[in-house]
Amino acid sequence: MGIFLVAPLVIWLVATIAYPIFSLIRLSFLDVGVIGTGGEFVGLDNYQRVLNSRAFWPSMGRSVVWVLGNGLLQTVLAFVAALVLNLPFRGRALARTWVILPWIVPAVVAVIVWKWMLGTSGGVVNMILLRLGLIQEQVGFFSTGNTAMASLVGINSWRFFPLLTIIILAGMQGIPKDRYDAAGVDGASAWQRFINITIPGLKPVLFVMGLVGTLWSVNIFDVIYLVTGGGPSRATLTMPVLIYDMAFLQYRLGRAAAAAVLMAVAVTIFTVAFIYFLAPGSEEEDEEWG
Amino acid sequence: MNEGKRGRAVRYLLVILVMFFIIAPFYWIYSSSLKVSTEIVAQSPTLFPESITFGHYANLLSSSDYPIYLTNSAIVSFATMVITVVLSTSAAYGLYRLPFPGRKTIYRLILLAYIFPGSLLLIPLYVMLSRLNLLDTQLALVIINVTFAAPFSVWLLKAFFASIPFELEEAASLDGASWLQTLLLVVLPLASPGVASVAIFAFITSWTEYMFASVLIISDANRTLPVGLAGIIGQYVIDWGLLLAGAGATTLPIILLFVLIGRFFVNGLLEGGVKA
Repeated sequence: MGIFLVAPLVIWLVATIAYPIFSLIRLSFLDVGVIGTGGEFVGLDNYQRVLNSRAFWPSMGRSVVWVLGNGLLQTVLAFVAALVLNLPFRGRALARTWVILPWIVPAVVAVIVWKWMLGTSGGVVNMILLRLGLIQEQVGFFSTGNTAMASLVGINSWRFFPLLTIIILAGMQGIPKDRYDAAGVDGASAWQRFINITIPGLKPVLFVMGLVGTLWSVNIFDVIYLVTGGGPSRATLTMPVLIYDMAFLQYRLGRAAAAAVLMAVAVTIFTVAFIYFLAPGSEEEDEEWG
Repeated sequence: MNEGKRGRAVRYLLVILVMFFIIAPFYWIYSSSLKVSTEIVAQSPTLFPESITFGHYANLLSSSDYPIYLTNSAIVSFATMVITVVLSTSAAYGLYRLPFPGRKTIYRLILLAYIFPGSLLLIPLYVMLSRLNLLDTQLALVIINVTFAAPFSVWLLKAFFASIPFELEEAASLDGASWLQTLLLVVLPLASPGVASVAIFAFITSWTEYMFASVLIISDANRTLPVGLAGIIGQYVIDWGLLLAGAGATTLPIILLFVLIGRFFVNGLLEGGVKA
């Protein structure tokens, strides 16, 4: 019986994920520009053109910078937030619910508010920094390549760290309390408890977070596209934006498909390596499924 | 565990700082959307509106296409929610309560589906939907959104189903209840916080989706909120008052939903996180 109940979802996902992946690979070998045109088999031509294009490798590099920047900033923010929200205080349940808010609003809303707060005419961040004397003149957060990339990493991290906070909090709930009690008896400091109990206890959670977080952030399109469109002068043109541009602005579907396949290969290599080198033991999971 | 007043104060200060970082931008949207246009773009922004105006909201509703986008988003999100709830609760029940060979593999494949990058699927789904003549239809968006909401929903339901004792189902089947009766009358009511969490997740996934909607929808009449709002950003002269009112109005339904069932949703994430 069970299998019949799972079947509708499985069929749905085969039609909308498995089949499209197959057709993406097929498309990458065809000469297709605008949809419905061409369709001749051109072998590896699309791949050669993508690999030899000026935009491809820099975009791959930017995607790596993007993933590392987001990973670092979000991990720090999420750990700070989780440790704070794990303290006893009045209204804790409420705070733990609402911390997720940035994650559930549309990217376009985050973009509107941050673009405006970081702006140079009436931007509140510039005003605060000026009044505090931290800067002498307004900073153009989106006007140079490096500041634009950093600002985007900041905006995207603001959106995603709440989810990681919840995941870390969940992991903290799973650590047996008596471990902390025992450490308290031994006179361990808060920092020692964090390093010796919390971090090891969070290992399985951190593993999932590192893997899924990377796959999610490499894939981010909306925030980047809506804030900078990949600019200024391509400084924030990551792989998803490049693929989108190729397919829907330059109308080169076949070539964009090849770029997408190449990105998928890179992501798959990362995933396999990540699991191979970092996967914690899986005894617990087997136990749970009986 | 004795800590002085100072420790307590530090603790509350830290909580306030974290929550400020989360909440302040939202305060800024709403307070600014009530300011008059000249005050919005003033070189030194005001913390509170000097005078309150609902003019931008009136503008949004009367002289922009916002009401159309809102209706479209509501239709697409509601349909996504219903289909996702049906598909994922039935799949979760099958996976977690009615053992069959290979279910662990299927569970893993469903999870794998969740991490599949959208930018990888964008091109082939665009081609597929255009072959099916579904470009520029709301159905296309519903199909996509369910695909991205359902796998995570199945995972989210795991913890809720696990907390229901098997004895209840056994008792129901001894009383002669069919599996459908057991699911609808015994299991689902007990898992209702989980079902609510899934519903809210599916709704939000759909409400916020931008990339596919920007490509699959061509005519203004079928546009959803994120793409519609982005259109205002793209204009040569940005009407910040209108844009902020739009952002505020788009966020409002999510905040209301969250007031009602946010607790269950985050609890579901917390429970799921422990079990995963």
